[in-house]
Amino acid sequence: MSQPAPDPSEIDLRFELVRFRYGNRLTAEQLDVLRRSVAAIVEQVDALRTVRLTNADEPLQRFAAFRADE
Amino acid sequence: MNPVFRTVRELAEAVRSRRVSPVELTEAFLDRLETLGSRYNAVVTVTRQRALVEARRAEGEIAAGGWRGPLHGIPYGAKDLLATAGGIPTTWGAAPLRTQTFDSDATVIGRLEQAGAVLVAKLAMVELAGGMGYRQPNASFTGPGISPWGRDAWSGGSSSGSGSAVAAGLVPFAIGSETWGSILSPAANCGVSGLRPTYGRVSRHGAMALCWTLDKLGPLALNADDCGLVLDAIAGPDPHDPTAAARPFRYDGSEVVGRRFRFGVIRDVAATAEDPVREAFSRSLEVLRKIGTVEEVTLADLPYEAITRTILMAEAASAFEDMIESGAIAGLTAPEDRFTAYARDAILAKDYIKALRLRAFVVREADRVLSEFDALVAPGRPAVASALDREFRSAARGNVPDIMGAIGNAAGLPAIAVPNGVSEAGLPTSLQFMGRAWEENTVLAAARAWQGITDYHLHHPPEVSYLA
Repeated sequence: MSQPAPDPSEIDLRFELVRFRYGNRLTAEQLDVLRRSVAAIVEQVDALRTVRLTNADEPLQRFAAFRADE
Repeated sequence: MNPVFRTVRELAEAVRSRRVSPVELTEAFLDRLETLGSRYNAVVTVTRQRALVEARRAEGEIAAGGWRGPLHGIPYGAKDLLATAGGIPTTWGAAPLRTQTFDSDATVIGRLEQAGAVLVAKLAMVELAGGMGYRQPNASFTGPGISPWGRDAWSGGSSSGSGSAVAAGLVPFAIGSETWGSILSPAANCGVSGLRPTYGRVSRHGAMALCWTLDKLGPLALNADDCGLVLDAIAGPDPHDPTAAARPFRYDGSEVVGRRFRFGVIRDVAATAEDPVREAFSRSLEVLRKIGTVEEVTLADLPYEAITRTILMAEAASAFEDMIESGAIAGLTAPEDRFTAYARDAILAKDYIKALRLRAFVVREADRVLSEFDALVAPGRPAVASALDREFRSAARGNVPDIMGAIGNAAGLPAIAVPNGVSEAGLPTSLQFMGRAWEENTVLAAARAWQGITDYHLHHPPEVSYLA
């Protein structure tokens, strides 16, 4: 499936979260690698967005109510 | 009798008829593990003490007429993410966890003990089963896994030692795990047979969790028949694992000569594979036409790899949240494993749920296609074993297509990888058969039929044949 290149601003916004949480542990070189990893994640998520779903399309995982005595 | 490179079925008959004793057999493999295991970085712990206790018990039971079945008295190794009691470390391949122990055995270890098998080793693996995004073979505190087919060839991962130990004749069979590629890849790189069962066929209780909805446990062995014998012992429901299905499984090892199969091939499935792999696959399709039909199939246009990768990355980040957030991953071996998982905080809950919603389409599409066939066939891996110091391409990281792996693991489908050639460089190539959910007997039958008309599975690494 083909999709347009990811929006750089979305990459930046998602990367900022990563930098905010872990930046103090990382070198500049590692941060560069992480930014590329975040770009790959955004590209991956864009691929998911190309498929339109309806309200009836549920996640495959099913929740089951629980009772310890059953 | 030299037990090295004898199949489980052959060894079982020798044990049952008392031509060889479980203790002799166990000592022979313990010696090989202790002398050759480090040559392939295949072993974490040789469980000599436990093994001899189990072997003596088996010997006594068999002498008293209590033969339990084909695994009774047969040594095996377990990937070091399966919990073992008795102070035996379970390291998950990770340096920070090298002294980790558990109070009880994983269900699979218990099942094998019930079958009378003898645990001789905890086998090396990629740290945290590769869940932190490793890019090159040196990603385990026991060193890079080495394929017995080449001193500079990677054994594959993440069940590295499970593949190389079987290929080197250090154990008759091994247990591995697969989240995406971790049984099929070492089976391919090491030239052995590796079975990924249907998700839920085998209990995961006591196994390290990488991805709760993707992890499967399965056997690696010298041939498909042995994989079936082992699956028969480890399959079944488990009150400790709610995903372990109540569906009964009995291995059907009946004759496959004369049986005809319907094989499907996804269009262009080998197009991006390396030349030796593509050529071997092309030759394999011609051979498969002797035992069935081969038809090209086209799949619905879905982002298969992105779906599976999103689920894998999100679940692995959650499963190892403590190690990631505490910074403990800095103690891992591969430099990239020490920080790249931080990027997964960029996956939103909505992204993960979208992947789970799309997974329902993958499952239905896979079943629609497979309902017309006994198995889809494809290369077991798109490349031969990479060099130990090279970065390899990985579908889980997104730099090589693997539609069979993406679909097979997202849909939890059974597949078996079997050898189908050797490259000019002397490295094995492999062929996979992937079937409909719960159709292990069908993919095993197809693989056994393949191994009935080919002899690739009878070839062993030249240096190991010499050492045997």
